[in-house]
Order: sequence, then C-alpha cells, then structure tokens
Amino acid sequence: MKYQSFVGLEIHIQLISETKVFCSCPNNFGDEPNTNICPVCLGYPGALPSLNEEAVFKALKVCKALNCHINEKAVFDRKNYFYPDMPKNYQITQFESPFGVDGYFNLELDDGSFKKIRIHDVHLEEDAGKMIHDGYQSRLDYNRAGTPLLEIVTEPDLVAGRDAELFVQQFRQMVRYLEVTDGNMEEGSLRCDANTSINLPGMGLGTKTEVKNLNSSRFVNKALTYEIKRHGKILDKGGEIIQETRLWDEKTSTSKSMRTKEDSHDYRYFPEPDLPPYRVTAEMMGKVESAMVELPNDRKKRYIKDQNLSVEQAAFITGERETADWFDSLLKLGAESNQSASWLSGDIQKVLNREEVTLEESPFTAERIKELFDLINTKKISNNIGKDLLQAMFKEDKDPSLLVKEKGLEQVSDTGAVEKVVDEVLAAHPAVVDAVRAGEDKQVGFLMGQLMKATGGKVNPQMAREIIMNKIKGSE
Amino acid sequence: MDKGELVKTAALAKLKLDENEVETLAIEVSAMLENFSMMMEADVEGLEPTTQTLQQENRTRRDEGPIDSGDNLSNDLLERVPEKEGRFIVIPNVI
Repeated sequence: MKYQSFVGLEIHIQLISETKVFCSCPNNFGDEPNTNICPVCLGYPGALPSLNEEAVFKALKVCKALNCHINEKAVFDRKNYFYPDMPKNYQITQFESPFGVDGYFNLELDDGSFKKIRIHDVHLEEDAGKMIHDGYQSRLDYNRAGTPLLEIVTEPDLVAGRDAELFVQQFRQMVRYLEVTDGNMEEGSLRCDANTSINLPGMGLGTKTEVKNLNSSRFVNKALTYEIKRHGKILDKGGEIIQETRLWDEKTSTSKSMRTKEDSHDYRYFPEPDLPPYRVTAEMMGKVESAMVELPNDRKKRYIKDQNLSVEQAAFITGERETADWFDSLLKLGAESNQSASWLSGDIQKVLNREEVTLEESPFTAERIKELFDLINTKKISNNIGKDLLQAMFKEDKDPSLLVKEKGLEQVSDTGAVEKVVDEVLAAHPAVVDAVRAGEDKQVGFLMGQLMKATGGKVNPQMAREIIMNKIKGSE
Repeated sequence: MDKGELVKTAALAKLKLDENEVETLAIEVSAMLENFSMMMEADVEGLEPTTQTLQQENRTRRDEGPIDSGDNLSNDLLERVPEKEGRFIVIPNVI
C-alpha cells in the first residue's frame, strides 16, 4: 500500500451501578420510559449533582488496568451543546484533568505478537437520553440521561481495521473481567467511534474522519477498511480529505457524511462549578488495587506457558472470566490441565450449549468434575461412560460417584466375566471373526461395539480389546 | 465582537438573528465583553484557577437510591411536560 494509515478509537462503556452518576435515580436498562428521572438529570434550575462513589471506583479500575497515570486531582467540566437528548444543554464530562491519562494496552495481534497501543485518557461522564424520531416528531426518554459512562480514548497507534477489531474485542473482554460493564454492543453498553487518517510514509498523520454508529467489532473493521480505501482514492486523484463525522451504514456497507466538524465542534468546555474536584485518596486506590484481577491476556499467556495449553484452548478458556475462574479452581483441586481444558472446551461446553445455560448456572461444580476425572483416571469408568455421566449429572444434579453407584456404571475389570461376554459375541458373529483372522483388524471395532452394547459400555475397552484379539489370533 | 463571530455563536446557541439584531447585538455584546475584560487586568500569576467556591473536595455519595419516600417524582415531573405520548416526552422532529 502506498499510504500509511492511522486509526484511533473512542470507546464508551456504560458502567454497572445501582444509581446514575450524579443523582440517585436508578440506572436500569429497559424500564418504562421516563420512570428514572429527577430534577438533577432533567436539568432543573438549582438542582445540584453529586458524584457516585461506585462510578469513581470503576473508572479508576479501568485506569489501572490500562496502566494510566492517575491524576491527583480529577476535575469535571461542562461540554456545551444544544440537543434535546441532554436536557441541561451541557454534558458533565472531564476535559482538562480526567481520572487517567497516558496509559497503554498490550494488544495481541493475529500472529501472536503484541503491540503497545497508547491510551490518551480515560474520563468519566454522563450518558445522554434516548430519542426516537419519526417524520414529524421526536420522542424523548430520559431514563439513560445521567447514567455513568466511561470514555476511553486511544492514540492513533492502530494501523488497520483488523487491529481496531482486535482492540475492541480484547478491550471488551478486559472490562468484562473487571466487572465494570456488561459490554453488550447491541444494547449499546459498549459503543465505539473510530478515527482514521492516511498519509504518505514519513509525513505523519493526515486529515482524519470519524465514523460513528459501529455496534459490533466486525463493523469497526469493515468501516475502517472502507474509510482507508476511500481516503486513498481521494488522495490518488489529488483531492483533499474533508475533516468530518461520518455514519456507517451496514445495509449498504458504506459511510455517509453526517456533519462537518467546524460547525459543530465548539463545545466551549469550562470547569463544572457545581461539582468539587475529586482528589484520589489512598483509601480509594487501596480498594481499587485489591479489586484488580489477572487480566485476560496475562492469563492466556500463563495458561500457555505454565499449563501447556494450546493457543486455541487458552483463548477459549480465557474468553469469559467465569470460565477461567472455574478452570483455575479445577486446577487447584489437583486436576490435570490438559484433561480439564479438553473436557471444558469439548463435552462440558456441548452440554452447556445444548441446554443454553452458563457454567455458573449449571450443576457442574469444579469439585464434581474433579471427581469425574478421578473416576476415569482410576479406570473405575471408561471415558465414554464419563461422557454419559456428564449428561446424567446435568439432568439429576448429583455427584458423579453417587450416580455411578445408582446406575451401576462401574467398569467391569473382572477378566472371567468379560471373557464370558466376549465368547458370546464371537459366537454370534463368526463371519467377522474370520475376517479379523484374515487380517482385517478394522473389523475388531465392530466386535468391540457389540461387546459394549451387550455390557452397557461398562467393560474396560483396553482389556476387552486384548481379550478379543487373544481369542481370535491366539487360537490360530 | 466581530459580526461573523456573533453569527456563529448565535448558531451554536440555536438562536436566529435577523440583520437588525445582528447590527445592534454586535455593539451590545462588544460592550458586555469589554465589561468582563476588566477581569483580565487582575494579576493571577502563579494562582490556581478557582473553578468552584464550595471549598470542599471529594463530595461524593454512596451508590444507593433514595429511601422510598412514597411520592412519585417521575410522574410529577411528567405532569409538567407540555406534550406526551404515553410516558414519552414529545417534541417537534429535530432530525
């Protein structure tokens, strides 16, 4: 490619809290319109905001996870704009002195290498209300107005659409681990705007455009790839890029001009006189530090390095914190990592998918799964019986050892008993026996199947196979 | 104030000004700004800007809703709304 491209992201996350960020209205998604409103979030004259501690705590957690410098004194500012989604005619946000600045995120690229993406700042602000438009009127719902929103701004260190897609995915995973947001992009709890510019190599940043309305990480990629190409075509013709905001239209897979920046971007920020500055206390930082968890990319590295998991297995297990925590507790009980990982990503996941429940909601506790592994590893049951047992554990919500007893699933290792059944099976299928004797070893599988059917799968398969082979080949 | 700047500021504030208003306001606003510019004379070298006079930092609250007082604040507020549709507040289309 002739040009060098630069991509930066602005990501908004809705913080999980009981109440809004500057008033005590409930912060609930999906309530009846305009039920969670009060004079503060409706901007009544004289109503004063007061800062929600939980929002500060969660903002600082994200700052910490993004390796930000935490400003000693965080200040709130007014961002002035006139639009009915914000009844005060300004948004309380942070401009000069936000909670966190100058951080970084170690982004894992497709080839497994890491790239440091600098974070410009992390600031706390209030969300706007929702509007529904039709031809002649707009309907307003202010339930969301004033709910806590955290904005994370990256430096333009990303290069292409795919980088940005990975960033959104890994960032989302991280904030879910931190339990600060549910990160649901479709419901808008994680929203992303993307900036891009291109230039000839060595010329630095070009004129940028911003794309809004990207509600999935895939769209982030598509929209940026489209924009980078569009910029290239304009420059190739000797044209000039107009600095503007554009909307991504998924139906046509194109971006459309929304407004030019010059007209709309004079927000006349000034310090919010109604809110005193927040000086980050040692007590609050202590609370933040003790709430930090091992982050997904670190955890993935640990699983690959210390537990010998494959990249795919490690990625699967660290996908959700719930799964990774569960995996860790299984290891703590002494389970072997590869056995744990392959059951977790295989049969356990299959049951969960089919029953449409999460690991947490299922009866599969780490203790029960460890017990299941012990039964298999001590050859009390076969691996296949173990799989059936998993179904039974789900349906009956009982410990595996109890189910083995109740259902009489214990593997038959008594040679005499097995030999007796083998004799019956061989007698019933003389043609197959002849084939095996003639060298068609594949046919043994059929005999094994018959044997398993006759015993309900309870025979130790290795032992059974040996007995069958001995009986056929040994009698030659 | 320069007329161009006045027109731009008015547009940002969603104010419509006709030519006469622009003429008079340009003079009036300039006079107002001149009044305020007196403040520029104060020596603030080395002083931290005063952004609020509450003289207090870290005024926060716990993440808890109000104790249910039995009143119905949101309904009272909605009663003051000029036009509604169900619980939605209705305004002329702004797109």
